Amino acid sequence: MAAFFPLVRGLVYAAVGFAIGAGISLGITGLTGEPAKEPLIVLGYVFAVIGWLMGVGMWKAWGREWFGKSTSNNPSGGWERYLRFNTDHKVIGIQYLTSLAVVFLLAGLLAMVIRAELADSGQNLLTKTDYNTTMSLHGIMMIAVAVAAVMGGFSNFVLPLIIGAEDVAFPRINALSFWIVPPVVVMLLLSPLFGGFDTGWTAYPPLATQAATGALLFELAFLTFGISSILGGMNFIATIITQRAPGMTWGRLPIFAWSVLAASVISLTATQWVAYGLLMIIFERIFNMVFFSPPGGNALLYEHVFWFYSHPAVYIMILPAFGAELEIISHFARKPLFAYRWVVRSFALIVFLSFIVWAHHLFTSGMGENLHGPFMILTELISIPTGIVFLSALGTLWRSKLRLKVPLLFALGVVFNFTIGGLTGIFLADVATDISLQDTYFVVAHFHYTIMGGEIFAIFAAGYYWFPKITGRMYNETLGRIHFGLMFVLYNITFLAMFIPGSVGMNRRVAEYPPQYEFMNLIVSIAAFGLGLAFLPWIYNMLNSWIRGEKAPDNPWGAKTLEWQTSSPPPLENFHEMPKVTGDPYGYGDETVIHARFDPSTTASHQPAPAEGD
Amino acid sequence: MTAAFIWILLTIISEVLFLSFDIFGDAVTEQGVFIDEAFVLLVVLAIPIFTFVITTLGYVLVKFRAKGDELEDSAPVRTHDKWARSWLVWTTVLCLVVIVHPGYTGLLELRKTNAEEPDLTVNVTGRRWQWSYEYEGRGVQLFAMDEMLILPNDSLIRFIITSEDQDVIHSFWIPAFRMKIDAVPGLTTYFDVNTLEIGHFNDDVNFRVQCAELCGTDHSLMFTRIAVVERAEFEQWIAEKAA
Repeated sequence: MAAFFPLVRGLVYAAVGFAIGAGISLGITGLTGEPAKEPLIVLGYVFAVIGWLMGVGMWKAWGREWFGKSTSNNPSGGWERYLRFNTDHKVIGIQYLTSLAVVFLLAGLLAMVIRAELADSGQNLLTKTDYNTTMSLHGIMMIAVAVAAVMGGFSNFVLPLIIGAEDVAFPRINALSFWIVPPVVVMLLLSPLFGGFDTGWTAYPPLATQAATGALLFELAFLTFGISSILGGMNFIATIITQRAPGMTWGRLPIFAWSVLAASVISLTATQWVAYGLLMIIFERIFNMVFFSPPGGNALLYEHVFWFYSHPAVYIMILPAFGAELEIISHFARKPLFAYRWVVRSFALIVFLSFIVWAHHLFTSGMGENLHGPFMILTELISIPTGIVFLSALGTLWRSKLRLKVPLLFALGVVFNFTIGGLTGIFLADVATDISLQDTYFVVAHFHYTIMGGEIFAIFAAGYYWFPKITGRMYNETLGRIHFGLMFVLYNITFLAMFIPGSVGMNRRVAEYPPQYEFMNLIVSIAAFGLGLAFLPWIYNMLNSWIRGEKAPDNPWGAKTLEWQTSSPPPLENFHEMPKVTGDPYGYGDETVIHARFDPSTTASHQPAPAEGD
Repeated sequence: MTAAFIWILLTIISEVLFLSFDIFGDAVTEQGVFIDEAFVLLVVLAIPIFTFVITTLGYVLVKFRAKGDELEDSAPVRTHDKWARSWLVWTTVLCLVVIVHPGYTGLLELRKTNAEEPDLTVNVTGRRWQWSYEYEGRGVQLFAMDEMLILPNDSLIRFIITSEDQDVIHSFWIPAFRMKIDAVPGLTTYFDVNTLEIGHFNDDVNFRVQCAELCGTDHSLMFTRIAVVERAEFEQWIAEKAA
């Protein structure tokens, strides 16, 4: 029970913090007029988050230092280290992955509710407001999973290992960026009690300003999540620049590390824009300031600010997914990654282009028509560097010796699904077809093909691939194959079918729709329920294998990257002997290329001197 | 060679299958005809790319498998700059083709009537959760949700769209016309259509104005039924309505 003490203390401190913040707010608003509910929530929340952080261990691990006192962190051993502020990147990676798996399943259940409602054209299961809140919650929770599972989860666990580092550059900021995520989830789950938010995750004002208080909780949650992303991005950039093992030159950097670097640049910079936008909506709500709401405000301004983040954000999701996909393909094909340098260049080009395509979300918004042409052209140009990623994947597979394990199956699934996701993107980049398809189920099917078919499949590929390293145990291959088979088939039926009602006139975000689209929706719903069930073998496999699975060898795949050259799971600070990198990590079939040597004379700094003197 | 043959065969079969389906039926505006043709063209261009990827994946899965479970390395082909360059050229060419047509030509199509005087101008205002319409210069306004929006066939119609000042963003979408644009408070937007055929909501559910931008509780119910009628019939209707 003592293991839960930091969490309980966090909750108590959060309650105290909320009382302080709410008290201050009551004092101020009470003195100047009517006490108001929303300023109370905002100030209470800010103090509650600080209280929560200090309670879960930030005070002991960090805060005491601000007052010249000694700090302590990283309790060794046991599972209680996962339940408190802990600066070990592997612990943080597991914290992210397990919490986001829960969020993923919750948001997946919401999707099942949505499909139950849409199986029939009328309104049957939910009130319209509840439908809108359900749909909005599904959206933002899945966005959070899509951003943080790969960046917070896998990047955290794998990145320092794969570049031969002992930890990230700023371990305490890393822990901070995880521990502000639980308040995000709590606020989102509380929002239905405050009238919900029927704004979608895009939350355009004036709707977002006028919506029930639930929308304020959503804005606070999103803003908090943004701070987590900014800190994470900064941390990974610093880590990759400064913490690489000796000899890990840029040309030897594994492609996954490149992809995380590319995504981190976007995460650090673009997220700040949406943070300002969200803050301004909060100010509109609590101070009656005018930014986006006419008269006086400009509603289109928010759309620009929002998409200036939210379009690059899809590359925060998909770039590390590409990185993991290519990494897995190379190691399971046992063939050097094809056109490595071309891929690195294309990642850089994607990052650059991702910042200057946002207004393709605004072709039907009423923005100036002079902007249509340039944004259409820039958007379509992204297909060129994205094509290089496919060249690399297919080129690596060609004439290889494939070992068809579950991680590779999912990686091949990414290639298949993202082909559809990418090609359907052209219909939305083209102004003429987008005018017809914007805000229809075609868009919904398209982004599920890129984010779920592309990124979530890559996350499962990564999950199976790194499972032995993370847990020290092997997963069950047969259950993994069943999971892949069911998920791949049912996923494709669900979302291929979804293109059809979208193409012929069914708009998105509706609880009710004309009965003419009922048949296709019923097919989508039935396949979607099957898709929901497809995750059961995964859940069982993960839990059962983690507890009872066969012990994993250090390098079950015979892969050459550094994370496989240490024990499974790796020790604190990762390596028993420090690696010295001497070649790139893809030297399959070429004995002259050796990725790293381990020099026993350079035992990792944290290890105590040997007990027996020498 | 086998792979290339399978690719070509799959492509031909897919193209024939796709083109033998009439997915949209007849579009009822000039702009809609262009948009449907653009959609079909993009599918036709996308099919060979899709079949290329699945052929490659399928071929690899059948042909290039490791024997047993031993770790056997493949031949270390690191890159093939000639291939990468030709890949780059092909993708760039395809991208440029799409940018010119239907991209640039589409922009021209959507704007071709900008300088013309429309046969009918309809001022549209969105508010939660209904549309209201004013037939400009004809003395007719429609408010109630159960009224139909009657439009003349064979005409250039301009919709001028906004949303009430204290309201939220809506989107004015007529699926049958394939056109939409947002109704934004504090901003006026517009689009033009040249109608080509008559039609009625009762025969085709796409003859409706549908709000396409989430606007709160009754968003899904924010629609108006439409009938496109012959000009003479329209004139008769509007004269009666104005009287």
